[in-house]
Amino acid sequence: MKKVALAILSIALVSAPLAYAQKKSLVVGMGSADAGKLDPHIASTTPDKGLLSWMFNGLVRIRPGKISPEFIEPDLAESWTSNPAGTEWTFKLRRGVQCHHGYGEFTAEDAVYSIKRASNKATSSYSNDFSAVDKVEAPDKYTVKITLKNPVAGFLGYVANVNGGNQICKKAAEEMGENFAKKPIGTGPFMFSEYQPQQFVKLVANKQYFRGAPALEDITYRYIPADSSRDLAFQSGELDMIYGKQDQTWVDRTAKLPGVKVAAIEPAELSELYLNITVKPLDDIRVRQAIAYAIDRKAIVAFKGAGTSREAVSVIPSGYLGTDQKAPLFPYDLAKSKALLAEAGYPNGVTIKTIHTTLTGMQTLIEAVQAQLKKAGINLDIELVEHATFHAQIRKDLSPLVHYQAGRFPVADVYLTQFFDSNSIIGKPTAVTNFSHCNVADDEIRAARVSTDPAKQLALWKTAQEKIAKAVCGVPIYEQLQLWAWKDSLDLGYELSGSLNLSPPITEKTHFTK
Amino acid sequence: MTAFLVRRLAFACVTLFAVLTLVFVLVRIVPGDPAQLILGDQASREAIVALQHRLGLDLPLAQQYTVFLTGALRGDWGVSMVSGQPVIGEVLRVLPWTIELTLVSLVLGILLGVPAGVYAAIHRNRLIDYAVRISSLFGLSFPPFVAAIILLLLFAIALPWFPVISARSGSLMAWYQSITLPAVSLGLISAAYVTRVTRSAMLEVLSEDYVRTARAKGVPWNAVIWRHALRNALIPIITVVGLYLGILIGNSVLTEIVFSRPGLGKLLIGALNQRDYPMLQGMMVIYTLIVVLVNLLTDLAYGFVDPRVKLK
Repeated sequence: MKKVALAILSIALVSAPLAYAQKKSLVVGMGSADAGKLDPHIASTTPDKGLLSWMFNGLVRIRPGKISPEFIEPDLAESWTSNPAGTEWTFKLRRGVQCHHGYGEFTAEDAVYSIKRASNKATSSYSNDFSAVDKVEAPDKYTVKITLKNPVAGFLGYVANVNGGNQICKKAAEEMGENFAKKPIGTGPFMFSEYQPQQFVKLVANKQYFRGAPALEDITYRYIPADSSRDLAFQSGELDMIYGKQDQTWVDRTAKLPGVKVAAIEPAELSELYLNITVKPLDDIRVRQAIAYAIDRKAIVAFKGAGTSREAVSVIPSGYLGTDQKAPLFPYDLAKSKALLAEAGYPNGVTIKTIHTTLTGMQTLIEAVQAQLKKAGINLDIELVEHATFHAQIRKDLSPLVHYQAGRFPVADVYLTQFFDSNSIIGKPTAVTNFSHCNVADDEIRAARVSTDPAKQLALWKTAQEKIAKAVCGVPIYEQLQLWAWKDSLDLGYELSGSLNLSPPITEKTHFTK
Repeated sequence: MTAFLVRRLAFACVTLFAVLTLVFVLVRIVPGDPAQLILGDQASREAIVALQHRLGLDLPLAQQYTVFLTGALRGDWGVSMVSGQPVIGEVLRVLPWTIELTLVSLVLGILLGVPAGVYAAIHRNRLIDYAVRISSLFGLSFPPFVAAIILLLLFAIALPWFPVISARSGSLMAWYQSITLPAVSLGLISAAYVTRVTRSAMLEVLSEDYVRTARAKGVPWNAVIWRHALRNALIPIITVVGLYLGILIGNSVLTEIVFSRPGLGKLLIGALNQRDYPMLQGMMVIYTLIVVLVNLLTDLAYGFVDPRVKLK
């Protein structure tokens, strides 16, 4: 008996220091089955973008935890200047920044290579963002000069630490070629260490990081596609931080767990109905207005959960540089809706078809919309298809009404261009996501894009939003925030309100408090 | 025997070719554009068209088919459109996980199912028989993913004996910890199958004359059951186990996802979501090969347990 007690005591003594040692390893659970292509210039999904953002820097960055371009601050570039026309940008790089795994100092040559690579459609998903770039040069080892064909609204955002703005190391990219995505090399606080297919990616601290060695030693980024399994692994303590299931019930349930912090972060994705203004019966503006009047945004937000969603304010997401926070949207008015429908020649109601994804969050929304439209006599005929099929079919103009949920770089120009500029109309070679065939605000969108007068630019964007709302190219509904949870013993090291890379930034300051 | 093997192999080749063609056509009939999915929703039409060209998706279907077949004949299954890695490598990397899970749960199923079936048959229409039959029916009708979640709630959360993420490796202990819950979850279903087949096969055999003879001449009851009767009841059991192995590999898709294990199932779902054509094609070949191989082994096993079965 004595021996047993002694044994227990000695085990307790041996393990005690371990239990109290500060935790240095962060384990994150992400809702996807596997890594995609780990190349910052190609990655476009939430799981890939978040992970990559911990490994890379931009020339500038948006302060961790913020999403608005007003928080832009130095990153790899210490300072920058531009000519008054906004067409020539000169960046002075920080000296002595080291690329991961001994690939040498990050210099202007790397930055030039990186921006050229991000502008090339063969190597980048974001080549469109750099279409105005005329020349990128390195006058000396620590100076980068970018010349634009025309001024670009919020240009600094394109060389920030997101999407094509992420800076990669030239020597590594040239040496590895196609294999770069297998071992991405950047300059960020964490470096790539190991990849186990369908299991995890492991990052280790970059001790030479120019802002100082990270407090965490490593990050394991686990791929756990089943929401319930991710929740259980978080509950059992195997995960320190998880990507949430995107609905209110998840928030309510998770917030009840002890020692857990739940956050709904920016950028929100805007849920909007795009009405094809060129096909019957939607070519009649009265039918489109009837739809807009029949949508009760307040009821939708109550249904989706007030803590994770909010009403749309304009035809583009709220809070972007240039968003009209009080755009003239149609109020909920069933009587007007019915009257307009009758006026348009459909006193007995009308049927409109939509091809829709089976993605849960989006599906519950379209079903709620269907119920609301029904009250006005509009019968929404929903054809449910799997997500990839949905993406293919809506790009072939097969769905007169398209429900789409998206967030973009928070400058009005990006959203307006992709969804409402007539160059982006589905079917054109320059097509992006203009499903409505909207062309009513081209002049304003294009003039604002190259305007160098901020006040005039804002006015143009405001007019564009008014025109689009009035023409009912889109019926904005609500905005969905990104949901995350982590142990409250994890101190991120900054105040988190949002992240353009869609995951909480893990910086050199992020650490466990116990 | 040799002639039998040659004939079976030739047949397997035909099956494989048919499956290849079917899969090639099917994945392309399904709407969805791999290039658009890879580039994401901010890419312009031009960028998407450029990628389609690089991936060879803009070639006429007949030409894509020829490229695919000639590659396949040379053992080149192409590279994944998403990861850019050779398909075969990707499949082989996760295949051991699926095989391990399938085999362990099958063994579990046999170890539980055969004795339970024999026991139920001996005690036909007694309380124990009803209990076995009802629980096996329950096992058959229970959706595997529900069983998996319940197991996790009980043995990973309420009683923290096993990890939720069942993908540890390294030591024997780690292996045991990560295989137990998934294997039990799948094993219970296969046990239910095996129990029912064993029971009915045993009932048939037990009423045979030679069983009565054996008992009459004084062979101990245990020996009658396990040596004489079960031996003769094995053929249908092997058939079911063989057939079930194919189903089990399919069932492992859900199990792998709930228990966060790597494996073919997760690879398949990912490839489907991304419309990764070469990956889907490569995986179907592997699945077909496994089923063909298992059927062949089942046939060979017949001859092994019953010398009267001649393989011609």
